This record gives sequence, structure tokens and C-alpha cells, in this order.
Amino acid sequence: MADPDRDVGVSERYRALGREEPPPELDAAILAAARRRRARWAVPVSIAAVVVLAVGVTLRVQIEERKDAEQIALSPQVMQAPVPADELARQARRDAAPARAPAASPPPAALESRVRAAQEAPASRAQAAPEALVGARKREAPAEAAADRAAPAGRASASVAVGKISAAPQTPEQWLERIAKLREAGKAREADTSLAEFKKRYPDYKISEAMRARVAPR
Amino acid sequence: MLAYRDGDAGAFDTLYARHKGALYRFVLRSVRERGLAEELYQEVWMRVIEARARYTVQAKFTTWLYTIAHHRLADHWRKRGLKLVELEDHDAPAPRADEPQARAEGRQSLQRFAAALAALPEAQREAFLLHEESGMSVAEIAAATGVGEEAAKSRVRYALARLREAMADG
Repeated sequence: MADPDRDVGVSERYRALGREEPPPELDAAILAAARRRRARWAVPVSIAAVVVLAVGVTLRVQIEERKDAEQIALSPQVMQAPVPADELARQARRDAAPARAPAASPPPAALESRVRAAQEAPASRAQAAPEALVGARKREAPAEAAADRAAPAGRASASVAVGKISAAPQTPEQWLERIAKLREAGKAREADTSLAEFKKRYPDYKISEAMRARVAPR
Repeated sequence: MLAYRDGDAGAFDTLYARHKGALYRFVLRSVRERGLAEELYQEVWMRVIEARARYTVQAKFTTWLYTIAHHRLADHWRKRGLKLVELEDHDAPAPRADEPQARAEGRQSLQRFAAALAALPEAQREAFLLHEESGMSVAEIAAATGVGEEAAKSRVRYALARLREAMADG
């Protein structure tokens, strides 16, 4: 159906005026602008991707460092490292608590010698104890759990050693003090038994007259 | 346009290729000054690009595109003031001595037609150009230019009558 508002003659004459097109450089500028606008969308997305990647790498590095620290805590070298006297004293106080299992109470000789060595060590040496050791001790429990799960031979033995150190109950002085308290409380038999055990463990240990008066059988 | 809005960069190329010639001629024959026409034409497309995120299908893309062009031209006319060129101001050049008579007459006839088109009131010329270049119906012209259909129809018909007169004079 013909368009009543269209005149073919006029349309033909109008077409004869020419079919101008925009210059190619104008086309290129507009098309480039259309793509640039799209590229602006891509910029925030790129930034977000970089941030996510950076956070991921940082977290990964932190996890790896933590694993390394746990392995240091379990290594035999660390177990043999000198321990500051105050650290051992803290352990002894913890172990002297009454809730402790009886099997953990007697201090092994090796630990005793380490206690003495630590007490006799110069202060500078104690201060120079590696920080890694302190960190490792803080993570002692997770390290033991990890060792139990993995259960390789080296780790298992290290775990046992850690257990012994943490079970180290007391110093000779504390032991004697406990005997004295038993004596004062009238628990003569227990005091005698403990004193006999002490003498077996420390046959050459010298004590003061005052302490002797407190722990000796009356 | 929906594809371009949704991230298909190639869709704009297709859209641009389809509409660039008609829109360019619409703008060029509206302002009759090539440099200005190119500037306005580019601004229309920039507005299309800027508005892509808000684009929703409410009418044909052609209608939306020429609505943008209409507003841009209206801004231009507002700034400059509407300036009509009378038909009598455009004297056709005399034919060259060596030019065949029929060819010379044809050229002069075309020049008169161009002059008549240029002399149309802005609203009538716009309606005629939209009708010819974009193929829009009267209803679509009314929508693009923000007038009623009767007004749009009247503009188209008046423009056609003036152009027929110019052709008959030749």
C-alpha cells in the first residue's frame, strides 16, 4: 500500500542531491569512543582482580611461614637448644599443680642437668635464646597434634620429647620444699618416702642446715 | 543496542554502519554547514554511547536515535536562533557556455530543489528529512520530535508541497 505522505517524484529528486557519508576519520573516532567506554568498565574489574590476587598471595605466604615455624618447633635441634631459666621455672610451676598425673611428676636427670645449666648460664645467653624457640613453645600443642596426625618417626620422637619437657615437675629446691611441707603437715611417711627418692635421684645434692632441719625425719 | 549495552562491542559497529549515512545527511541538511554538522553528528553518537547503560526498549532504536538528534539540533537552534533562508536568496548560477542545455537545466533544477529544501521552516525540513532518510512513519516522526501526529503529518505535507512547487518551477 502506497504511503499517502510520500511523493515518489520528490523522493527521487531528493536522492539526486547525493548520498553523503561521514568522513572515515569521524567514523573511526566514534567507534573508538564506543570501545573506550567499554574499556572503562574493564579497569575496575582489573583492579579488583589484582587486589584479590595480592591478598591470596599474602595469605599463602603467611600460611607457609606458620608451617615453617611449626617444623622448627618439632626439629631435634630446637629441642636441644638452651632454655632460659625463667621459662623452665614457669614450666615447673605449671607441673607442680595438684591435678597433674603422677607419672609426670619425677623430673628426668637430663632435664635436671639442663635446669642447672640454664641457671648457671650467663644472662646474656638466656636473652640470646632464639625467638623462634619462644614462638615454637607457644605453638607446642598444635605442633604435637600435627605430629600425632602425621606420625613420621622423627616427629613422633620429637613429640615425646616435648611431652617430657612439659612434664618436668620441679627443681630440687621445690622438691625439698614439698617434702618440708609434708613434714609440717604431719605426713611423715610420705615425707620419708619422698626424701628417700630424692636422695636416690640426687645423691650428691648439698642442702642448707635450715632445709635439712625441715625435711629430716624427726 | 541491547547487545551493545550488555557488553557486545561488535554490536555497536553493526548499529553504527546501519544508521551512520542517514543520520549524517539528516544533520548535514539540517544545519547546511559541514564542519558544524560533523560536530553535532559526533555529539549525537556520544550521547548514544553514554546512554547505553540506561537503554531500554521503549521504541524502535531508530526513533530513539533521532529523538537524541532532534534534541541536539533543538539545543543548537536555541543557541543560534532560528535563521530561515528565503528561496529567493539562492540565485541559481548561470549555465556554462559549453554545457549541454538539458544537463544544465537538470543541474539548475536540482539546485532549486536544494534551495527549496534549505528554505523550509526548520520543523518542516526536519519532518521531511526524517521521513526520507530514516524511513520513519508520521507517528514515529511525531514521537521523535515530541509533537502530535497531526502536527507531524501537517509538517510533512507542507514540506512536500513546497518542494513540488520548486520542482514545477524548473
